[in-house]
Amino acid sequence: MPFLTDVRALEEFRAQARAKRPADARVICLCGGTGCRASGSATLRPVFERCLSENGLDGEVDFRVTGCHGLCEYGPLVIVHPQRYFYQRVKPEDVPEIVHESVIAGRPVERLLYKDPATGEVKLREDELPFYNRQQRIAMRDNGIIDPLRIEDYIARGGYAALAKALTSMTPEEVIEEVEKSGLRGRGGGGFPTGRKWRSCREAGEKRGEIRYVICNGDEGDPGAFMDEGIMEGNPHAIIEGMTIGAYAIGSHEGFIYVRAEYPLAVKHLSVAVEQAREYGLLGKNILGTGFSFDIKIARGGGAFVCGESTALMASLEGKAGEPRSKYIHTVESGLWEKPTNLNNVETWACVPPIILHGAEWFASIGTEESKGTKVFSVVGKVENTGLVEVPMGVTLREIIFDICGGIKGGKKFKAVQTGGPSGGCLPESMLDLPVDFEHLAEAGSMMGSGGMIVMDEETCMVDVARYFLEFLTEESCGKCTPCREGLRHMLSILTRITKGEGQPGDIETLHELADTLADAALCGLGTTAANPVLSTLRYFEDEYHAHVYEKRCPAGFCRELITFSIDPEACNGCHACFAACPTQAITGEAKKPHEIDQAKCIRCGVCRITCRFGAVKVK
Amino acid sequence: MSVITSETAEAIEQILKQYPPDPSALIAVLQDIQRDLRYLPKEGLRRVAEYLGVPLSQVYRVATFYTAFSLVPRGKHVIKVCMGTACHLKGAAMVAEAVERILGIGPDQTTDDLLFTLETVHCLGACALAPVVVIDTDYHAHMDTAKIARLIDKYAKE
Amino acid sequence: MVHFTINGVEVEASREENVLQVARRYGIYIPALCYHEAVTPYASCRLCIVEAKQGGRTRVVTACTYPARDGLEVQTDTERIKARRRVVMELLLAQAPASEKLWEFAATLGVTSTRFPSEDPDNKCILCGLCERVCREQAGVASISFAYRGRHRKLTTPFEEPPDFCKGCTACAYVCPTGAVEVRLARNLLELQPWKAKVEMAVCTECGTPYAPTAELKEVTEKVKLELPALNLCPACRRKIHAKTVVMGKS
Repeated sequence: MPFLTDVRALEEFRAQARAKRPADARVICLCGGTGCRASGSATLRPVFERCLSENGLDGEVDFRVTGCHGLCEYGPLVIVHPQRYFYQRVKPEDVPEIVHESVIAGRPVERLLYKDPATGEVKLREDELPFYNRQQRIAMRDNGIIDPLRIEDYIARGGYAALAKALTSMTPEEVIEEVEKSGLRGRGGGGFPTGRKWRSCREAGEKRGEIRYVICNGDEGDPGAFMDEGIMEGNPHAIIEGMTIGAYAIGSHEGFIYVRAEYPLAVKHLSVAVEQAREYGLLGKNILGTGFSFDIKIARGGGAFVCGESTALMASLEGKAGEPRSKYIHTVESGLWEKPTNLNNVETWACVPPIILHGAEWFASIGTEESKGTKVFSVVGKVENTGLVEVPMGVTLREIIFDICGGIKGGKKFKAVQTGGPSGGCLPESMLDLPVDFEHLAEAGSMMGSGGMIVMDEETCMVDVARYFLEFLTEESCGKCTPCREGLRHMLSILTRITKGEGQPGDIETLHELADTLADAALCGLGTTAANPVLSTLRYFEDEYHAHVYEKRCPAGFCRELITFSIDPEACNGCHACFAACPTQAITGEAKKPHEIDQAKCIRCGVCRITCRFGAVKVK
Repeated sequence: MSVITSETAEAIEQILKQYPPDPSALIAVLQDIQRDLRYLPKEGLRRVAEYLGVPLSQVYRVATFYTAFSLVPRGKHVIKVCMGTACHLKGAAMVAEAVERILGIGPDQTTDDLLFTLETVHCLGACALAPVVVIDTDYHAHMDTAKIARLIDKYAKE
Repeated sequence: MVHFTINGVEVEASREENVLQVARRYGIYIPALCYHEAVTPYASCRLCIVEAKQGGRTRVVTACTYPARDGLEVQTDTERIKARRRVVMELLLAQAPASEKLWEFAATLGVTSTRFPSEDPDNKCILCGLCERVCREQAGVASISFAYRGRHRKLTTPFEEPPDFCKGCTACAYVCPTGAVEVRLARNLLELQPWKAKVEMAVCTECGTPYAPTAELKEVTEKVKLELPALNLCPACRRKIHAKTVVMGKS
């Protein structure tokens, strides 16, 4: 393992790594991100390895398991270079054909290529898909291209050049200035100017002559958001490099990466990356011979959403329960172990190396007036192309949902998009032309948040969505302060009653009063923003609330107490499949004759609807 | 009064050895014990408190605060049904209910034969493939009530 | 020293003080349940909220943790504050309906009923944490703590069993604002509920009243390394005998 004693050694090593990776080299990139793993990509790896070995291609072809490539809906994804053939939904039995046709003979395998569901057009290369060619990847620049467990790949792509530049040709003050000028704002949802935060931390540390800490917040808890997961798994070195640059600027020598327990792959990749960086002399004592020392410890969360809040995260790092505290004295002044601490989100750290390398002006030229650069979004729910998307700030919701992500799946109608997780809100069709940045979504009653974007269609009940987020928050509330612990509980029971058709007059007023109390009197951001999903759905979907409360009806056909399942006698051919599937034996019928559901026994679990291949089960 | 076996006590000592006797190591220590023993034994927590110099009440506080930990043994197979937003919209609640019906247990409960534990988790990060269920370390995408029944069968037969 | 205003009144304070402390010093009332001078502020009950204007920005903050600063303008009873406090008080009453002291306190805020349902009609605990803070920070014993989180949060002993060690100092009962912690003294046994703590008490050799935990006496005599016959007496009998022998010169 080469220990890079100075910048020259780094550059020499980089040149060698690049020489081994010419543009026309044959490379197979198999996506090993959590999404593709869930689709089975792990089983493909040994099959590829065996097939390449059998064909004597071991040393000739670079087989890489990469981090999240982005188009999770179509995983497992395989990209064959240099042609950049983009293969989707690859199965083990497809592997020999890929190797023989594409790797050896250089020809595409038609049936594995992406086909546009709207036009039927077959796309050859990744950059032919609107999902990819409309993105601008900065934080995700190396995702899907490098093997995250091979530091050589990262260095070949330009990794650690920014760190070398900062350590050898910039003062800490100059680094802070560059980040300030770039306009980079926190990507975890808060949007606080990053450079300003670094400066405050440095000043607090210098004033009191104290040790300072830097932290990476990898506790991505918003349900539906997995952007940070994609970066931690797919490009851990980007975070390490960013943190080291930040540490240099702030005057810190100890850093922590806090990863939520539910991301074991991210923990593994970050741990390997930290080890490798140390071995190469890019982390630890006397980095690249410059005299600057900085090291990182990785800590795992324990399954608590509230630990995404900075003071709760710090309490957790100290070995305590993740309870937030008042932030009237900021954490940059008194944070971890009451020392000046700079905490930033994963994506924020990942943006730092490109800013140092390409300059603040370059970064500030992307995005909008107040929101510079790009943002990664996880677009999930009822869209065609679910996955991770990185676009310049200011791109509209419509562009993201329809142009990039292919619009609503199954020809259904768009109803709402939920952004900002449990702190955010739901926006209706009339808001689709809003530019996505820190300001516009907040004005409309939601917020950009960390980047989770959940698309909903006509079958989504907006009252249930509000109830869902309240249930989430009552489970995750730390319970310290009265308004959150008690107030959320009561809001949840009101919403639950409404979804069961037991809404009472006065319920909506009580919801508003509790919302106001939470916003003003709760201790931390979890509590103060907890009412947003309820408030935004009340604002834009009041008619659904009315239907539930006054008509005992769920227009979307989702709320179990308010719907009935029935079998359409004209569509039912009596195949008897639903009979076997029904857990309460509520279905009766003779073979080849239309079947019937006994409403008294039906628990509305929906198994019959999934089982029926003829669409004969109707919901009202 | 619960007593742990000497094997369990030894396993805990081995874990403690890897950490400095400092309160900040508490969560990591508990995670390792949870991973190896499938739960946090009471007497084990006493030993942890002693080693790290943390009052037992504070160890108990941390052990009960984080859902990653369990004070009672978890089953051989832990079925985690993701209840993230995307999964919820696509019917995760039905999947969880199906598991409850099939195994006769509620959330955070374990079957009498200690084979299965059901947990509902708040987002596993595979949202594009909702609804998602993780059993042990295996991820399963696009789950529904029919598929989960078949999966449980498969694991039961192993 | 810093200078600021509370309800228009000019006040002076040190930077280490919080707004609630300063207000109390000046006789300005801000309601609070989870605050006590003897322990660290915790800001869990949220009753001490006030409007604080600093640097052109007005925020609702808890007075017990907001630091005294120059130029601060604090308002303790705006319509907004009164409205929020009312709801918080109602939430607390719903949580701990069995506490008479809580209802009395609520009445001083003008709250005499709650619209919210109660899950546990016998509960008196509002999870303010004063008991666990005094046990940990002052008694130095830490035999009780919070457990679980959110709606399942409770204040209890490890594994909800009798604590390994309880000093029997009863500070937890003393600081409890709702009467949720009960002291029961019978013969030579002191009981602290709901901790299921049973502490053996030494009994006065003169009058037979239990007066101090045996373990405490033992610790004191070991530390002091003196045999003091006065330590076998309850405070009342000690005074009587002291008066007889020392003051009045009788043996």
